Amino acid sequence: MRLRSLLVRQWRSRPGRALAAAASVAVAVGAVVSTWTAADASRAGYRKLTEAVAGVPSIDVTARDGGRFDATLVPRLVDVTGVRAVVPLFYRPTLLRVGDNRLREVAVGVDAGALVSAGLMTLTAGEPCLEFDEVVLDATLAKGLGVNVGDEVLFFARRRIARMTVTGLADTDSLRWFAEGATVVVDIQVLEAMSLSTVEVDRVRVALTADADRERARLAVAERLPEPLAAEVPVGRASMADDVLHSANLGLDFVTSLTLAMSWFIVGNAMLMNVAERRRGLSLVRLLGATGRQVRRLVMVEAAVLGGAGAVVGAGLGLAAAGPIAAGISKALHADATALITPPLLLPTAIVMGVAVAVAAAWWPAREATSVDLLEGLSAAPPPPPQRSARMLLVAAGVMTVLTAIAEVLMAYGLLPPRASVVSGIALLLAFVAVTPFLLIPLVRLLGRLVPSRWRVEGALAVEQIARRPIRTALTAGVLVVAVSNGIGLGHAIRDSVDDVLNWYGKMLKADWVLTQAGALSVTREERGADSRRMEDEVRKVDGVAAVEGISLATGRAAGMACVIIARDLPPEGPLPLEPVDADEPQVRQALERGEAVAGTVLAQRTGVKPGDDLAVEVFGRTVTVKVAALVVDYTSGGASLQFERAAANRLFGMEAADVLLVTAADGKAASLGEPLKAIAVEHTMLLRSFAEVRRFIDNLVSGVVGSLWSILGLGFVVGSLGVANTVTMSVLEKKRSLGLLRAVGMNRRQVIRMVVLESLLLGAGAGIVGLVAGLSTALFIQFASQPLLGHPLQMRIRMGVVAANLAAALLVAAVAAWLPARRAVRLDVLESLSAE
Amino acid sequence: MPILRTERLEKTFDTSGADTSVVAVRDVNLDVEAGEFLAITGASGSGKSTLLHMLGGITRPSGGRVLLEGVDLASLGDDDLAAIRRRRIGFVFQRYNLLPELTLLENVALPLVLDGRNAAAADAAARESLAAVGMDHRASHRPDELSGGEQQRGAIARALVTSPAIVLADEPTGALDSANSARVVELLQRLVAERRQTVIMVTHDATVAAAAGRVVKMRDGRVAYDSASVEVPVS
Ligand SMILES: Nc1ncnc2c1ncn2[C@@H]1O[C@H](COP(=O)(O)OP(=O)(O)OP(=O)(O)O)[C@@H](O)[C@H]1O
Ligand SMILES: [Mg+2]
Repeated sequence: MRLRSLLVRQWRSRPGRALAAAASVAVAVGAVVSTWTAADASRAGYRKLTEAVAGVPSIDVTARDGGRFDATLVPRLVDVTGVRAVVPLFYRPTLLRVGDNRLREVAVGVDAGALVSAGLMTLTAGEPCLEFDEVVLDATLAKGLGVNVGDEVLFFARRRIARMTVTGLADTDSLRWFAEGATVVVDIQVLEAMSLSTVEVDRVRVALTADADRERARLAVAERLPEPLAAEVPVGRASMADDVLHSANLGLDFVTSLTLAMSWFIVGNAMLMNVAERRRGLSLVRLLGATGRQVRRLVMVEAAVLGGAGAVVGAGLGLAAAGPIAAGISKALHADATALITPPLLLPTAIVMGVAVAVAAAWWPAREATSVDLLEGLSAAPPPPPQRSARMLLVAAGVMTVLTAIAEVLMAYGLLPPRASVVSGIALLLAFVAVTPFLLIPLVRLLGRLVPSRWRVEGALAVEQIARRPIRTALTAGVLVVAVSNGIGLGHAIRDSVDDVLNWYGKMLKADWVLTQAGALSVTREERGADSRRMEDEVRKVDGVAAVEGISLATGRAAGMACVIIARDLPPEGPLPLEPVDADEPQVRQALERGEAVAGTVLAQRTGVKPGDDLAVEVFGRTVTVKVAALVVDYTSGGASLQFERAAANRLFGMEAADVLLVTAADGKAASLGEPLKAIAVEHTMLLRSFAEVRRFIDNLVSGVVGSLWSILGLGFVVGSLGVANTVTMSVLEKKRSLGLLRAVGMNRRQVIRMVVLESLLLGAGAGIVGLVAGLSTALFIQFASQPLLGHPLQMRIRMGVVAANLAAALLVAAVAAWLPARRAVRLDVLESLSAE
Repeated sequence: MPILRTERLEKTFDTSGADTSVVAVRDVNLDVEAGEFLAITGASGSGKSTLLHMLGGITRPSGGRVLLEGVDLASLGDDDLAAIRRRRIGFVFQRYNLLPELTLLENVALPLVLDGRNAAAADAAARESLAAVGMDHRASHRPDELSGGEQQRGAIARALVTSPAIVLADEPTGALDSANSARVVELLQRLVAERRQTVIMVTHDATVAAAAGRVVKMRDGRVAYDSASVEVPVS
């Protein structure tokens, strides 16, 4: 016989224990593989979503004075890292005649051929316009006008009236990225020639690759530009999507990291238990003359073998699960499920990690078991509560908490990136796990009082079992705490941030109909103000319109930072469409009417602007100093916004034209407004959408993102449940002998099962309560962590649904996981169970 | 030189919970010569097992020292102590003697396997040892398939397999009926007679103790009587 075969014998005689230990590794490695793949699918989906909504990530090169500039000033940029294409843009308001319709449109001059071949403009029909008399129309506009490829339109330019052939129709979404409200696409040289301006452009848009670091690319581009030109991140585009996704990304990091942390915790736990429960057997081997080293080696070999086998099985399961999960996520995000890519290093890394964590986790209790006095090791009594470990745990909890606090402060001051919160969030959770052993036993004793009196004996025995086996209790509870707090913490965080966005949206957008410029940014000021006023009057006169609010948007700079300027009509009564931070509404309203501004929290955060400060604001090349009255929560352009009352903005910057009109109908008239508003929209080249449509769009976006987070969280939930089930099963298996003893002294099978299940339930409830506190702290923590990102604190509410679901699941899993092995254990006859070591 | 010598041996237990500490063994001075068959008797709780555990290096004394073949056990590190247990000492316990997962043969061979002996040699030696205690016909059985007396004989076979300098047995007959305990005692007597094996056995059974050449009686942790040092009083 070789020493190794002792291992094999032990596995054979206690297959449950060995299997459970290997299963824990399988669960962990499977979780790592599938979570990672699912997270990758989510990130890819988010990227596509951002592109679909906000367009291709890009940088604008503009003149510092806000006017047009000579395109030859722009140096070569295509070789800057991260740059995908360089697109000079030239906008020109124009008049179009199609049949009997005369339309005021904005034309954009681009290199259409290059755009199409770069994949930046998608044609739904036809060819790009290349020649002098060729034009591409927005597909939506063309459809409205009944124009098809090959039809002719009249183009009223400054120099002449051109008869042009429609060579292609451009997909509206793909146009949105660069056209900024333009619906007519012409070759840039053609448009310049027709406008009597040569080589001039409004801006040069630099498209970036999807994975480029936008800020780094911006700096690289800025470095090459001559003095009169600036490089900035285009603002004002539907960047709410960007923000939802930004916090979703942070959430994703949290979900994945916590799931991964939980996985390794489960492995460590199972291995710890596997060895800790065998202290006596190992001591006996030592008694017969094995050295501590021999015993430790034996245990490590076991951990490596069980870990390796588990890891390989887990990798297979993980891969199998990853496919459907990733596909589901892609579907939720409306991204086409591209071929599932598992990073090549993922599998080997996960397997190696599985083995390494298993061995490391076995090492510690092996050392403990071989360093105690032999006599102590042999005693049948549970190992004494390790004073030293208790102190170590408390110190660890303290250190983790302090580290978390420090990281939090550093993050609040911007000295650490928000992502650091992921690591310190895990540290916080570990701190909770470390204090669990101290909280748990008193908690369980308290809960034990709630056991119905007819099960008093079983209840009392259950409580004692928990209290007398502090190590086993702590390990089992640890997994429960992590699982419950993971579910509760992330469940809250996800719901909170989504609610935050939706709340804001609900406040900001209260209307039945929404009229927008297709791209929603004032390109030029000329002539539009008067036209816009006329249109507003027309809308107001429509029968059944109760209120019309105009919103005007422009890019500007405040304290050297690019921001979006929002000027909107304030509703005469009712709440402001704003969420002021620490300021009361009437005062904010008065200040706005006086011509003061309110700043988005993110802008304030980045520029250091406080309420009461004066701020130099540059819009359309005009610089005006305004006073900041208050800060508001805003998601427009990521909160880097400055808001004004519309009349004041008109006075200050000449912002008159409305880019968005919010139309509220009189009671019951909402539906009947559709037709007349549609007519006005067509005439003024605005896009009409019902609130329901807008809402659907937002909801779609949000639900896709939330769905992806939930599915990964669900994966974490499954992992947690398996971990809990595994741990509970293991701990029941270890009790075979004491269960036999209880039966020997007269307990019947039913009582024994009841006792085991009660024990598990009490443990589950106790750990659930600790996990609840830990989870809510995690949620609070994520909230703090997202503050630097959002610039404002998220509203956190305790969500009974999330809490109840998690606690119920924990109890259910704990009960079932105890019931099954207990039922098997009591099937043995008393003698058999007594002879179990 | 005595094969085993203790000097002012003492053991104190700090009982967790209670604030009193228990002095289990105090001021024990013993010399045991090679080939001696020594029985330790005494009331329950008098410190017999504790003394035996210290003699075997299973637990460290709180005071005094144990010299086995002239080597102070306290001076040895864990690994050296393990080697001594493996090669020079054979244990027979009242309980937890055999690993339940292993067959009797494997149990007996285990100390040799731990010592790095190759499997075939270990098996051969184990068989020989089992034959010596009359258990070779049950070699492939697992401990829970054996009676208490058979297990005990198996444990003795394992204790002998390394040809140790000294066999320490803690109530080897405690759980056995008189016929079986007689067999075990006979076996031990034969070992001493035929192999000049040194045996120290704890027992509270007077008839079992009578089989030993020397009897030491413990009371409250001290040696109250030692048949070797009792001399006819000179008046
Ligand atoms: N691990 C321990 N912790 C505390 N006290 C102990 C411990 N082991 C033994 N004792 C105490 O030391 C004293 C001697 O115990 P020991 O086991 O040596 O007695 P014994 O003579 O072998 O008794 P028995 O004949 O009943 O086996 C007893 O009072 C016992 O309670
Ligand atoms: Mg004893």
